[in-house]
This record gives sequence, structure tokens and C-alpha cells, in this order.
Amino acid sequence: MSRAIYWISLVLSMLFLALPLLLVLPLAFNESSFLTYPMEGFTLDWFKIAFTQPPWMPAFLNSLKVAFGAAVVAVVIGGLAAMGTMLSGRFGQIILSGLFISPIVIPSVVLGVAFTYAFGRAGFGGGYISLVLAHAILGAPLVFLSVMTSLKGLDPELERAAASMGASRAYRFRTVTLPLAAPGFMTGALFAFVTSFDEVVVALFLAAPQSTTLPIALFSGLRDRLEPTIIAVALMLSLLSLMFLLVLNWLQQRSRYKTRGK
Amino acid sequence: MSSLEIKNIDKFYGATQALFDVSLNIEMGEFVTLLGPSGSGKTTLLKILAGFEPVSSGTILMNGRDISLLSPEKRNFGLVFQGYALFPHMTVHENIAYPLKVRRVAKDEIDERVTAILDLVQLGKFAGRYPAELSGGQQQRVALARALVFKPDLLLLDEPMSALDKKLRVDLQEELRDIHRTLGTTFINVTHDQEEAMHMSDRIAVMNHGRIAQFDTAFNLYRHPDTRFVADFVGKSNILDGEVVQEGDTAMFRAKGVAVPLPEAPTMLEAELMIRPEDGTVEVEAANDGRIYLPGKVLSSTYSGDRALYSLAMDMGENFIVYGSARSGIHGDGARVLMGFAPGDCTLLRKLNG
Repeated sequence: MSRAIYWISLVLSMLFLALPLLLVLPLAFNESSFLTYPMEGFTLDWFKIAFTQPPWMPAFLNSLKVAFGAAVVAVVIGGLAAMGTMLSGRFGQIILSGLFISPIVIPSVVLGVAFTYAFGRAGFGGGYISLVLAHAILGAPLVFLSVMTSLKGLDPELERAAASMGASRAYRFRTVTLPLAAPGFMTGALFAFVTSFDEVVVALFLAAPQSTTLPIALFSGLRDRLEPTIIAVALMLSLLSLMFLLVLNWLQQRSRYKTRGK
Repeated sequence: MSSLEIKNIDKFYGATQALFDVSLNIEMGEFVTLLGPSGSGKTTLLKILAGFEPVSSGTILMNGRDISLLSPEKRNFGLVFQGYALFPHMTVHENIAYPLKVRRVAKDEIDERVTAILDLVQLGKFAGRYPAELSGGQQQRVALARALVFKPDLLLLDEPMSALDKKLRVDLQEELRDIHRTLGTTFINVTHDQEEAMHMSDRIAVMNHGRIAQFDTAFNLYRHPDTRFVADFVGKSNILDGEVVQEGDTAMFRAKGVAVPLPEAPTMLEAELMIRPEDGTVEVEAANDGRIYLPGKVLSSTYSGDRALYSLAMDMGENFIVYGSARSGIHGDGARVLMGFAPGDCTLLRKLNG
């Protein structure tokens, strides 16, 4: 019985999640400029186009810039928020956590409108800074959550041990708590980066032509001219995401090894 | 002369009282163990001494100075945690150097002192390792070194052996005893293992339900327990419930089927009589030697080479455990035997109400 459930769920999830991707991705190597099967020969031309013709490379670099900036800002905001929340009382923790996580719950369309309006009013709408700030706000809750998780996972006896050896609260925080929570910061930063990197809704509201990000370029490419280049770009993006996933996994493994007590 | 005086400590958690009027006087350089079953308040008392829990009332005096309101970092007490609480992101050397860095000791002196203490706990080769790369016993010794390196006024040990296997525990007990002798620091150890307590301590405070049941040497706890709880908790014992009556010139302890003359008249009327398993013998026939012989039959026996531990069903209705000589054979299960003991070897216990 449990074997049957195992196979049914495995097959269904593969069908829904992986099959569409696997069906589409080979078309990146198709010689025909139409996205249809059967394939007509093998070519890497679409990848060449992706690297040489606009809008792909500039959009990719824009995305990197925005994602990097957003991740840095998100780590500062989310990290500080998590540390402050940890130091407050139990009731305060519930309220503060709710507040800091709220950007995840609010629909991105609503956020997009709000950002456009607010940044426009403040006088820096449509530019690089507005995108970084908006994505930082989307990424901060992720940093907050992962830092909170690693702070909560710390053995409270470590802090007590440091106290018994004469370390003041600030010294304990700097030498024990912060270094041990570092994997949480790294994970959070990575999450924030990835989130910004493939965020499209808020970016549509805010991006100006010169600050177009890769997801927007893909989105408009899909609308304007349906070429295998899109698939080639999508394939490379998937590989990049896979790489991030592996790094994330490695980070988590490492933190588990280090805090493993006997 | 320095000493630790614990005076009339009460501790409440909300409406529940965890400690009742606990008082202890601990001399400098003493090795004291707080012994008791789980929930007896021994860990609570340790947390209060370490400064992690405030007292509800009462005082703690260190060399006459009241420290009951001092925060943990200002007490200068070493602490070995049950889970060792080694910093996983620091090497053994960095772990042990931590309390010295806090005290802004010069780097050369730090290295010197860390090396010296690592030699003391026989871990000289492991200075560069991380805690996760050490065995449980090694981690325990690093924790000990870290708690001792800054020359604390007092070392508190919270069930330090509980995570180790039996063989390692015995070795470490001896080592701990040696280190205590070498350094002369006052040690306060918490454990529920009565053997560990008896092997290591100068004095043992037996705790029960938040109270000190008895604070004495291992010998006195074993031979002269005050109460049935201490008699039961420290070692094996047979206990008879009865009363004290005056018969002519002698006081007698009477229980169902037994009368034992007492050497001196006690003040109590209701009492319990303790007979340790090694105070009795298992015989086939009674001798006329002033000892008391009670009939019964063998339920089971455990042979350990030097002797056998018999479980006996006495005719008077109790079950006794008694060591018997096994030099010329062992009594089989079901055999009729006599359990002999000398009245002078018994201990009369005070009976507590309730």
C-alpha cells in the first residue's frame, strides 16, 4: 500500500513539475526557429544569439546588479530585525515576527503598485535604486526567517557557558551567537538574491528601459517574438538556479556539522 | 579561610516550590556532591549557585560576601555543563582560551596556561581539533579544562558523567578526583548516581523533594543514614517498619515476627530498622551466639565469585536481600535457610511523618 502511494505520488509530481520543463528545454538546441517538435537538427546558435544580441546580456547584468544590491540591503535589514526580535520578550517576538514577515504575504501586484507610487513620489521611480529597494523589501523576510531559525537553533547552554566564564552580554553575542548564526545569514542572502533574480511582477512596475531585468526581457520576448533563444536563456537560468540550490544545500550541511553536539 | 555558605534558600517557580529552606556550609577545597533523584532540586540548587536562577529567599555567602544577587559573569565560578557546551566554531585551544581572553590575559600567558591545563587533562595533542572531532570523554575533559583554566573560586559540575559509558565514567571519576587533589579548588558536583557520589566526594548532600535529607560523609550516609529515604537511595538495604518498646532494662525494636534489642534507648516510638545486605549471613542452622536468626526460603541468588547475593522470602512476610558466603556452594532456589544478623549491626532510622 505505502509502496503504491510512493509510486503514484512520485510519478504525478514528476509529471506536473518536471515534464513540462524536460519537454521544452531540448528545443533550445533545435535548428528550426519555431518551438515545435519534431526537432530539425542540432545547433548552439540560439545560445550564441543570447550572448551577443540585445536585450539578453545587458538584462542579465542588470539582474545581477539588482539582485546583488537587494541581497546586501536585505541581509542588513533582515539580519538586524532578526537579532532585535530575538532579544525582545515572547509577546514582542510574535508581533515583530508578524510584521517582518508580512511582505511575503502581501500579493506582489499590490506591492508593485505601492512601490511605484511611493518611489515615484519620492523622486527615484523607475531606476536601479528603486528596483534594489523593492527587491530588498521582498528579500528581507527571507533573511529574517533564516537568521531567526539559526539563532533559535543555537544551544542556549553555549551562551550560559560563556556567561559563566565571565563574558559580558555584548561579548557573548559577538564571539558566540553571531559566528554560529553566520550560516543563517548566508542562506538568507542567497534566498534574497535568487528571489530578486527571478522576480518579475514588481520589476514590471518599476523597471525603466535601461534597467530591464532578465525576467522582464524573457517575459516580453515571450510576447513579442517566440524564439528558441528564450528557451536557451531559460535553460541557462535553470542551471544557475540549480547551482544556487547546491550551494544552499552545502551551507546547511556545513552548519549542521559544526553545531552538532555530542 | 574561604567557604561557601548557603543559608535558608527557598525557590519558587510560580506557585510550585522547588527548594525548601536549603542550607549548606561548604569548606574551601572540599569536594561536595549534591545527590538525589530527578526532581529532587539538585539541579535547581546548582543553577542558583551559578547565578542562572535567582533565589526566592535566602542568601549565598562566598567568603562572607553576599553573592546571591550577582550575575553569572561576575561570580568567577567554573561550570561544566551536562552537554559540555563547548563552542563548536572554536578549536580546543580557542575554547579553553576563551575565559582568559575575556579577562584580557596577555597572549603569551594564555598559551602557557592553556598548554598547562591541557596537559593536566591529558589532551595536549588535541589543541587544534574542533569539538565535533573529539569523543565524548575528550569533550568532557575539554569542558573541565575550560572551566578550570581561569582559576575559579568554585567549580560546579552538572551531571558531568551522565552521557558517558560506565567504563569511561569510572576512569574519569578517578581523574576528576586527582585533579581536585592537585588544584585544591572547591568542587560541587551534581549527580543521581550514588556510586559516583561515594567514589569522589568528601561530603554528599542527599536531596529529596527540594530538601537536604542529609549532608555527611559517604561512610556516615551508608552506615548511619538518618531516614529511610537516605538508606534506600544510598546502597541496598532491608528495612523493617516497627516500634520501640521498653522491656525491663532494655529498649527493644519490635516488628512483626522480630524483636531486636537496641544498644541505647532512642527517643522515638515509631521507627524503622535497617539491615544492609552485608550485615546478614545465610545459614542452615542457628548458632547460640547472640545473633538473631530468622527463617525463610531462597527466592533466587546471584553468584559473583567472591560471594552470592540472595533474595529471601522471610516467613514473617518480608523479602530480604542478603550476601551469603559462596565458598562451599550456593543454596538452591526454594531451599529453607536462616538469615542471621547481629543486633549491633542494625541501624535505627528516624521515621518521618507522611
